[in-house]
Amino acid sequence: ENLPFFITCLVVLKIIKHYQEEGQGSEVVQGVLLGLVVEDRLEITNCFPFPQHTEDDVDFDEVQYQMEMMRSLRHVNIDHLHVGWYQSTYYGSFVSRALLDSQFSYQHAIEESVVLIYDPIKTAQGSLCLKAYRLTPKLMEICKEKDFSPEALKKACIGYEHMLEEVPIVIKNSHLINVLLLDLQEKSTVADKPELLNLSSSNHLEKSLQLLMDRVDGMSQEIVKYNTYCRNLTKQQQQKQQYLQRRQQENTQRQSRGEPPLPEEDINKMFKPPQAPPRMDTLLIAGQVNNYCQNIKAFTSQNLGKLFMAEALQGHSS
Amino acid sequence: MSRFFATGSDSESEESSSADEITPKATGTTFNKQQALLLSDDEEDTKRVVRSAKDKRFEELTNIIKTIRNAMKIRDMSKCLEEFEQLCRAFLKSKTIVDKEGVPQFYVRLLADLEDYLNQLWEDKEGKKKMNKNNAKALSTLRQKIRKYNKDFETEITSYKENPEQSAEEEEKDDAGSASSSESDDDDDDGVTAKSLLKKKPQEEEKAPEANKFLKGAADEESESEDDEESEDWGSDSVDSGSESEDNEGAAASLAVVFLKKAQDGEKQTDRRKKHKKKERLEEEADEEGDGEEGGWEKVKGGVPLVKEKPKMFAKGTEINSAVVIKKLSEILQARGKKGTDRAAQIELFHALAGISNENNLGEGILVKIKFNIVSSLYDYNPNLAAFMKPEMWKKCLECIDELLDILFNNNNIFIGENIAEDSENLAISDQPFRVRGCILTLVERMDEEFTKVMQNTDPHSQEYVDNLKDEGRVCGIIDRLLQYLESKGSTEEVCRVFLRRIMHTYYKFDYKAHRRSLGLQGETKSEQDQEESEGEDSAVIMDRLCKFIYAKDRTDRIRTCAILCHIYHHALHSRWFQARDLMLMSHLQDNIQHADPPVQILYNRTMVQLGICAFRQGMIKDAHNALLDIQSSGRAKELLGQGLLMRNMQERNAEQEKIEKRRQVPFHMHINLELLECVYLVSAMLLEIPYMAAHEFDARRRMISKQFHHQLRVGERQPLLGPPESMREHVVAASKAMKMGDWKTCHSFIINEKMNSKVWDLFPEAQRVQEMLVRKIQEESLRTYLFTYSSVYDSISMKTLSEMFELDLPTVHSIISKMIINEELMASLDQPTQTVVMHRTEPTSLQNMALQLAEKLGGLVENNERVFDLKQGVYGGYFNRDQKGGYQQKQSYQRAPDQRGGYQQRQGYQRDHKGGYQQKQNYQRGGYRTQNQSSY
Repeated sequence: ENLPFFITCLVVLKIIKHYQEEGQGSEVVQGVLLGLVVEDRLEITNCFPFPQHTEDDVDFDEVQYQMEMMRSLRHVNIDHLHVGWYQSTYYGSFVSRALLDSQFSYQHAIEESVVLIYDPIKTAQGSLCLKAYRLTPKLMEICKEKDFSPEALKKACIGYEHMLEEVPIVIKNSHLINVLLLDLQEKSTVADKPELLNLSSSNHLEKSLQLLMDRVDGMSQEIVKYNTYCRNLTKQQQQKQQYLQRRQQENTQRQSRGEPPLPEEDINKMFKPPQAPPRMDTLLIAGQVNNYCQNIKAFTSQNLGKLFMAEALQGHSS
Repeated sequence: MSRFFATGSDSESEESSSADEITPKATGTTFNKQQALLLSDDEEDTKRVVRSAKDKRFEELTNIIKTIRNAMKIRDMSKCLEEFEQLCRAFLKSKTIVDKEGVPQFYVRLLADLEDYLNQLWEDKEGKKKMNKNNAKALSTLRQKIRKYNKDFETEITSYKENPEQSAEEEEKDDAGSASSSESDDDDDDGVTAKSLLKKKPQEEEKAPEANKFLKGAADEESESEDDEESEDWGSDSVDSGSESEDNEGAAASLAVVFLKKAQDGEKQTDRRKKHKKKERLEEEADEEGDGEEGGWEKVKGGVPLVKEKPKMFAKGTEINSAVVIKKLSEILQARGKKGTDRAAQIELFHALAGISNENNLGEGILVKIKFNIVSSLYDYNPNLAAFMKPEMWKKCLECIDELLDILFNNNNIFIGENIAEDSENLAISDQPFRVRGCILTLVERMDEEFTKVMQNTDPHSQEYVDNLKDEGRVCGIIDRLLQYLESKGSTEEVCRVFLRRIMHTYYKFDYKAHRRSLGLQGETKSEQDQEESEGEDSAVIMDRLCKFIYAKDRTDRIRTCAILCHIYHHALHSRWFQARDLMLMSHLQDNIQHADPPVQILYNRTMVQLGICAFRQGMIKDAHNALLDIQSSGRAKELLGQGLLMRNMQERNAEQEKIEKRRQVPFHMHINLELLECVYLVSAMLLEIPYMAAHEFDARRRMISKQFHHQLRVGERQPLLGPPESMREHVVAASKAMKMGDWKTCHSFIINEKMNSKVWDLFPEAQRVQEMLVRKIQEESLRTYLFTYSSVYDSISMKTLSEMFELDLPTVHSIISKMIINEELMASLDQPTQTVVMHRTEPTSLQNMALQLAEKLGGLVENNERVFDLKQGVYGGYFNRDQKGGYQQKQSYQRAPDQRGGYQQRQGYQRDHKGGYQQKQNYQRGGYRTQNQSSY
């Protein structure tokens, strides 16, 4: 169902370059992906960055800038369909409300839109990490209705696993570029990649753990919130029940005395149910935690492999 | 006349006053007279009208009622409403009077009328339509209001409605009399009302010139006035005052003063006394004959100084004996404490009397008595408790007490005491010993308090303060002499009291003599030592003796508490740390000091602070920190030590409280240096906190030892630009930073340098020793910090290196490291042959720490999750039996929730073995839960 989409080398390099130039540390860079839909298949052929702008220049109009940019690109015969956006990530933290909202609006406007997540840290470690995500149809529906109450989410049967779907990417180049790449490979002096074999892991793990912990804290808070809500709800229901019982008793008494029953009152008005906490945040946090865990798992298994390898090598040499 | 009634209408009051014309003579009591005189005495202040509270309130009410009635007439409803609300408030204010007198008729009447009127208006639909919007709205509000309000007065209103005529009549009467001030009804019985006063006035004015005449008149005229006196109160009064101004108060020449004084002499008794005195004077003047006239003239006119008056204290011919002098004394005493008595003149009089009795050798008994009175009248000079004595008064007071003590010491046969009754006094010279009423101890205590007040009210940075402080020696001297005196004569309680005074003057002074002696003991020759010793006891010995006496003999807790605190303070001040600490611990004062009164609490705070500083000097850093923690952590050290008021809570306390607090302030010369205090605290906090922080760097639940210190660190971090430290705090912060890195040399240079020396360390009596101690502490704690921080990067480290790094000798390094190993602070072992510390590396790395933290957090998360689930379960259980039990079950499920918290731990273990175990267990639990519920049901 999820057909892989093609992405050109140009886009990848531009994204990387964008991050190198503007992003640093935990700062995130974003940009627009341009491309075409060819036979149900998305091809991303170009991109341009959102400019960094500070809070104080309010005059800056992002939409205006995008439109102009696209118009200009169109003049030089570049695909100008807005097919999504890209974002860099810091240790795999990208599942957030902001991403959800903007991806929803993209997908709402152009169904094929994707978000490309570029992880510069992993890339620096030696393997290019670029992933494409889309919101699942279920999540799209929920977002459309804007109802994040516990009941609605329960009805939709949505868990953190089903929020985003990853779309496979194929990096495809024109033949000319392929030729160039081969040519470059020949000339390349940097053959070995020491980063790949780097054994030190604690720094990366520490950072990840820190972020994970932060999210776990968030999750705890959400749960506490939900817990209080549940408690309030049951308490109130209990009161309601008692009230109804009393009422019924009174009515039977009245009936036995031959008096008319008490008038019906709007019971929901008297017992206004407490405001349910929106559950979307919890979902997002869960998704993010999941993400971190996957990252850590992947990283540690890789590292374990490396360690075993190193051990074996040492044993061999000694 | 109308100026007396700024508020009321005058025509009616004039009428009524003429009707009451007869009353002044009839009710011309002294009371009335007093009122009149008061009025005449300050004619400028015309607005002051004396009325009873009732009159005032009722006048207010009637005024409002009048406006309401007017508003009713013109159908101004909004005005009506406004006034009615005001009326209600006014009525509420006069509640106490109403409670006493009953609800006034006019008030009930208005309420009834107003209600009727409003109902009438309400019925009148047409009229209502015509009304403008505001009025209509006001009408409905007012109608509702009055309905509600009148419920409280139902009985009165019904009774009014039953016979409105009678009430109305009354009311009219009332109206007539009280439209302006409504006081006519109680005029007769009170006789103090404004109207009666009014009548007095003209009379008074008539009298005034008469009085003047009298003043100018000669002695023969006075004899006339003497007759007047008998026949008519009025005349006598003015004459009396006239003659008296000549009599003993030449200074008080102005008529106003005469009257002012007269006002206080309302009582018959004093009148009689005056007459008596006048007779004396008449005799005297008869002797002087012709001179009398001129003399009298001069005296009044120029306000002749008292010196000339002095010899006239007694008639020339009178034989001055003790009886006469005592009589005179009691005469002067009578005027004491009364308004308008010239206190300065009184003091002079006493002095004159003392001189006379001295001249005539009337014996020490009388002299003592007079001296007592001089001192107490000196104290009385300031009517205000907050005001302090003038310097000359203060000097006089000291002299007087000194003389008094001289007499007491020289004459063994004088008994003084509060318990001696006035009539059993024996003042005259006889075989019996003198018996004089009076308490020298109280006088001295009061003197001591006055001294404190003087010091409190002097600018501590002025020369004046230094001058005043010189009197401290005299105060101490007096207390010492009194102490000697009472030790032989006084009761135990008195001795305790005077001991406490002595202690209070000793405890805060550093005994330099003893200090020097203890330092130079070896160097000096023996003779010199003896010589020095003979100069006086060590203050420590004195303190010990006095305090121990109090501990043994005192029966009031307060004196003992103060004595203990002072004793501790004194010990601490002289670096006798262990004695001070033991005394503090044994006294158990820490447990119940909060019940003591504020001055004692301030003393306690001072003591604790001194104790802390003492501990610091002795190198007991932890004790120092603990002792100072309470005072410093509040941030109100200044206030707690009674060394100044904080400005910030001005709105919290009113002026009265502020005055009280000001009175509690400790005089400047007893202050504890706050900067030194803070510095000591911060440095001890640094020495404790920095190694602790290094040791618990990754601990999630690290506690702060000192919040104050952390606050300072944070302040330091917030600085955008870090320059070299300026203030004491900055120095400490900079030093802390250096210490964090284990850099003891930098730390040392920040703590001990010229700036800090001049600010703090040089203030200690043994500055050198304290500095040495401090350096050593810094070295040790830096070593500890270094080991905590960098042990992870070492496999092993030689102790020799460490000892070189921190300039500590090897055994010290060895002992410090051993201690750390024993306390399991440092995971290492000592390798004896090579003198190295071998690290074990058992402390978790930062990653492992992080993982532990995460595990903890996840535990919390699961726990929270469980609770959600439990809740569901409870509801679920409740669902089954909802019809029968409803709420009970749910409540139970809440209660159970915390129990299950612990359960998770076990379950977790279980879960590890079987994957499905958790679910099973839940099922099991659910079942079990239900059965349990059923069984309990």
